[in-house]
Amino acid sequence: MDVMGIAIKVALLTAYAVIGTCVGLLFMGIGRKIIARVHNRVGPPFYQNFIDVAKLLSKKTNISHGWIFDLALLFSISGILLTLLFLPIGGVQLLSMEGDAFLVLYLLAIPALGFALGAGASGNPNAGVGVMRALVMMLSYELPFIITLIALMIYYDTTSLATIVRMQSINGVKSWAITMPPFMLAAFAADMALQGMLMEQPFDIPVAPHEIASGPMVEFGGKYLGSLMLYKAIALVAETTLFVDLFLGGGVVAHGNFAFVINFIVWLALIFLLFILSILIAASFPRFRIEQAFGFYWKYEAIIAAISLIWVYILVIK
Amino acid sequence: MGLYIGDKMMKYEEWSKLAIKVSKASLWMLHFCTGCGAIEMPPVMTSRYDMERFGIAPMATPRQADVLLITGYLTVKTLRRVIQVYEQMQSPKYVIAFGSCTINGGMYWDSYNTIKHLEKYIPVDVYITGCMPRPEGIINAFIKLMELIDEGKARGWEKYQKYYDKYKENQRRVFNFEIEGENEEY
Amino acid sequence: MLDIIFAELIIAAIITFFVGKKIASIIAGFISILPLFALIDWANNFGFKTISFGIERQMNISVAGITLHLGITPLSWFFALMILPLFPLIMLYSYSFFKENDGFYPFMLFAFASTFGILLSKDMLSLFLFWEIMSWSSFLLVYRSRDKEAIISYLIFSVFSAFAILFGLMILWHENFSLLLSDIGRINGIYGFIAIASLIIGFSVKSVLMPLHAWAPFVYSKSDEPFVAFLSGGLSKLGYYGMFLFLFTLNGVKILQNYTPNVAWNYLLAVVGSLSAFVATMLAIMQDDLRKLLAYSSIGQLGYIAIGFGIGTPLAITGALFQAFNHAFFKAVLFLAAGAVAYRTGKWKISELGGLAYRMPLTFLAALFAIFALAAIPITSGFAAKWLLYEAAIQQKYVFIAPLMLIAGVGAFLYSFRILYGVFLGENRYPDVKEAPKSMIAAMFILMLPLIIFVVFPGYMLDLMKPALSNSGIESIAHTKFAIETSLAKYNSMAVLITLIAAMVPAFIIYKARKHRITSFEDNYLAGEPYEFHNPSMHAAHNFYKPLKGVVLPYFEPGATYYFEKIYKGIGILSNGIRRIYTGFVQDYAIYVVIFLLAVMGWLIWM
Repeated sequence: MDVMGIAIKVALLTAYAVIGTCVGLLFMGIGRKIIARVHNRVGPPFYQNFIDVAKLLSKKTNISHGWIFDLALLFSISGILLTLLFLPIGGVQLLSMEGDAFLVLYLLAIPALGFALGAGASGNPNAGVGVMRALVMMLSYELPFIITLIALMIYYDTTSLATIVRMQSINGVKSWAITMPPFMLAAFAADMALQGMLMEQPFDIPVAPHEIASGPMVEFGGKYLGSLMLYKAIALVAETTLFVDLFLGGGVVAHGNFAFVINFIVWLALIFLLFILSILIAASFPRFRIEQAFGFYWKYEAIIAAISLIWVYILVIK
Repeated sequence: MGLYIGDKMMKYEEWSKLAIKVSKASLWMLHFCTGCGAIEMPPVMTSRYDMERFGIAPMATPRQADVLLITGYLTVKTLRRVIQVYEQMQSPKYVIAFGSCTINGGMYWDSYNTIKHLEKYIPVDVYITGCMPRPEGIINAFIKLMELIDEGKARGWEKYQKYYDKYKENQRRVFNFEIEGENEEY
Repeated sequence: MLDIIFAELIIAAIITFFVGKKIASIIAGFISILPLFALIDWANNFGFKTISFGIERQMNISVAGITLHLGITPLSWFFALMILPLFPLIMLYSYSFFKENDGFYPFMLFAFASTFGILLSKDMLSLFLFWEIMSWSSFLLVYRSRDKEAIISYLIFSVFSAFAILFGLMILWHENFSLLLSDIGRINGIYGFIAIASLIIGFSVKSVLMPLHAWAPFVYSKSDEPFVAFLSGGLSKLGYYGMFLFLFTLNGVKILQNYTPNVAWNYLLAVVGSLSAFVATMLAIMQDDLRKLLAYSSIGQLGYIAIGFGIGTPLAITGALFQAFNHAFFKAVLFLAAGAVAYRTGKWKISELGGLAYRMPLTFLAALFAIFALAAIPITSGFAAKWLLYEAAIQQKYVFIAPLMLIAGVGAFLYSFRILYGVFLGENRYPDVKEAPKSMIAAMFILMLPLIIFVVFPGYMLDLMKPALSNSGIESIAHTKFAIETSLAKYNSMAVLITLIAAMVPAFIIYKARKHRITSFEDNYLAGEPYEFHNPSMHAAHNFYKPLKGVVLPYFEPGATYYFEKIYKGIGILSNGIRRIYTGFVQDYAIYVVIFLLAVMGWLIWM
């Protein structure tokens, strides 16, 4: 690759990192507005989350509990940006040819682990309990998600997200995975897993503000909390994009010279719809207990996912 | 932003306008619900009065919060917690005190263990009068606080830093010992 | 030269019996570097340009008409590369670990020499002899723990393993009248099947595969840490060395398939491996004893290697060997770090530890990095190995194994964080603890080096295992220095690392844009409660995964220990019954003799 090509690639990646951050913050603001409307409130302006992050990053005092605490800030933002850039977004491959879905699964763990390290380093017992809950949640929702992922992988005979997206975009909407009956089941299970990944309401057990004082974030303030808000915003985009890439063809509907504009808009609309769905579920359900969430995922969701996997396996073997 | 990087503590006036705008439009509050004023908070937060439209959101811990709400009377025992929490908050930070109890002891003015003048122990930016203040009053207080921040008058936290010894002396007079807290900064 | 190396190892073992512990560890450490020179020398034979010391590749020892054939093969060279370097570093670690020399070093050196011997064996007899020496010397090291359960379980399982291997050896002799390993391919039919099966079962005891793992939690949790690091990091790989040797290099898979064409034995091995990985991970999450947690984690991580051998495609075997290499180093570091923590605090229970990260930062860093490797975070080489195995499972469409493997990978995060939080983070309970001694730190950091090198250059690892694979007729997979390519996808370590560093830039700008103030642990938000008023137990590590405990444990724990307890009791009853033969009456003994003679006569008549 020549210098020019590398420069273009770097510029593209930077642009997508910035877009991802902005889109995430915007969505979070819109989500707050929607929840307010469900509650019959007016709600904050849609740009409220930009203001919040700016305020947190401009706080005068920032309290740290030592260098391990700082790892939370460093790893959460860098890890989630890394994850975002390894996903195909709206048909643009970014770095997704250099890795695959397994890599993305494990990259998602980098910010989570950094965050958990920082939370643990504060020494606050609430943080320890919160991280424990987050990890148990992770074990819970990963099982149905992994099973659906494997169903997709054996159907398309690839683990690369870029290839999965390409194979689903051959005939536009008609070739999306979600149009096939087994993958409808899988998509349902994966969407519930997404709800847990996003830590939205029935599964917001790890941060439960009224039980454990916002859990892992209890000692985070100022720039630390600001960076975590950024992490959450980018994670929202990354996780919904992962779902879109797996089941909705990555939002690719058009091919041609200026198709990427249409694809980008479709991708944006799809992740927005997914986010709205999860926000509406969040607005209408109370919080589970951790054992209930574990049982929900390992019993019902895992069985739904397993049915789809067996179905796909039979299809493939034929 | 970025005008106050570095060791030197810059004056409030030197803040950029954006930082002021941002910090007044996103006030995260920690409600220290000791007194009866706490019962006025749910209507303020929920659909009838909806404080979130001003960017005000409830927070779980002092590390995350900008505004400390003292909702009603304080005893000597709770004052100690209030000071601990106030010192754990990250500046710029503001205090809103509810009801007449925080101003002069209110209906408990002759009790042996209530705190009569909150102002003596921590700097209060906005008082809300009444016993109890109505939700409109609380919202009004937040709007007032925003105006004060805009005008650069909500400087309680700087006052606390400046007259730290005086505040500590007052606190010591109540507790008979000193509270360890954020005092390295002051 | 080779006999000199062995002789020196044995002499050193005898010398270390008599000298003080510091001198003993120095002698043991330096002597055990000698075989490494041999490894460097032999690398020339396998396509790498290194220095030559003129050490021969083959050696035959004839004693009393029996010839032991020793020699290096590409496979044993690769396994030696992962097992042998551990030893000098563990000796460096033990320089300050022990209070006095009480018989640790001689047996360690015997175990080391016999390990070297096992790797060099070219016939069944020497393999068995060295295996026995290794088993007995490691048994005597386990015996130092003075823990009944550990001693008995290790003894029972070692003897079982040895008998299984001996059984395989006898069948080979019966069929071939040759004990050379290269002659195994000649036997076929039921004898070949039984021989290979019993050898695999014998080896899977040492490689703690799930039904035969029951000794590991006791032994790993009670013995000396330096020994456990070698046992888990090094000796457990010998089991997989044997499996690889007989299954792939000596075509054991074909022997099994020829006899039973319709049964997929390799699939069975993969299922056993994946259940081992899954169940052990679930049990590791629940442990409170740091060493037991690491023991179950070892069982789980070693299960991945069995999965790789079971799947049996080039991709899977490459992944399995890579995983074996990584496991040797990161598990050694973890056990050594656990030992360092215990050396300073004297505690093993996770719920009694806490807050050591700021007191022992270097130990923490070593443990953190090893945990990253264990949890397969893509900034360590642990990821490449697991990735290859996942790819292999998807490629073969093994829909039962792949989810178990992946969920075990997620479970690894849970117990990893249990170690990190319970031991190193959280409440600062030991304000006066000092950093571990320098020799321990040095050993742990040197052991981390391969994990760092092979994350930047995963292709080098594939180059290293290439001779072993091509010697067994397995093609190596497409790779460059930084990237591995399969038919399904590509993994480019350099892209990950460079992007991570680049993504650190915005994070670092945010970090540096505002000054922060470091506050003490006491200044924590406890709902306004001052720290000194609080209950002294602020550590949430006690009963950490309590919500999971009620849901998961009832399904796993009985299955994992139940049958072992049955065997344990059954052997006790059996031995008691046999003991009753010795009644003490001469008449009874006379009757036994008569019965025996009658039986012999009957047999002769029948013949």
